[in-house]
Amino acid sequence: MQNSQEVSSQPLAADKVAIIPCAGMDKALGSVARACAFRVVEKLRPDKAVLICIPPLVAGVKPYSEILKRYPSIPIDGCAERCATKIAVKNGARIKGRILIPESVQKHNLKPKSASDIGPDGEKLAEKLAEEIATQIDRLLGK
Amino acid sequence: MTLATGKVGIICCSGEDLSEGTISRVATCLVLEKLRPDQTVTLCLPLFLAGGEDERAFARVFPTIAVDGCSKKCAEAGTKKFSGKPVATILVSEVMKKYPHLKIKSREKLEPQEMELATKVAEEIAKKVDEILCKTAKK
Repeated sequence: MQNSQEVSSQPLAADKVAIIPCAGMDKALGSVARACAFRVVEKLRPDKAVLICIPPLVAGVKPYSEILKRYPSIPIDGCAERCATKIAVKNGARIKGRILIPESVQKHNLKPKSASDIGPDGEKLAEKLAEEIATQIDRLLGK
Repeated sequence: MTLATGKVGIICCSGEDLSEGTISRVATCLVLEKLRPDQTVTLCLPLFLAGGEDERAFARVFPTIAVDGCSKKCAEAGTKKFSGKPVATILVSEVMKKYPHLKIKSREKLEPQEMELATKVAEEIAKKVDEILCKTAKK
């Protein structure tokens, strides 16, 4: 397993990257995971990123595992349990980058407020992480 | 998560696929933080699905409400698969039918109209929590 926030320098023969946010409850960082994933897939790299929703992936109600096998993946984990990474690996994902939000909180010194309202610091953190993920996507796709 | 008696577990889909997933997440937060903070705990669905034994044990022993955004009912299905059938399921898409004037557009940030809908869903969850605890107390 690579260190968090690092990506392989090898470009892959793929035109998209799968983004897997943990969206964990109970903690504000799960909400940050969601917020930064939405920024990537809706604003920063809408044509290059595919959002993977964990509940239907595990329930098998959508063909997300096919997407995971096809595209390189970047899980976004909200806590040390690293559920997004574990579930992605279990479903055949090729992990090529990772975000562990507790590390990013320390790195950027931005502390989100709560799960229901991440507050201005949480918004800034989501923005910074979204930019980091967009950079990882560009590197992975060789752009 | 701490195991405790007299509590109801709430497990929400929080799915990123649809705006309804955001409503389910916000409604669950409203119940936990404002409406029934002392009677409810949340079960983190990703942790539950990834193998979190505390979460699974809670749902095996204590009553649990699944809050699902859509008819795929991933939270209900996951709970059933790993712990047992939830006591109740609140379906956001069904609650929405009662309030056709409340439209949802965004899955990222909720506008006042969407917050109103999340509040309505939260009230339904809180009502269900009261019913469950009332039944449990009678036993």
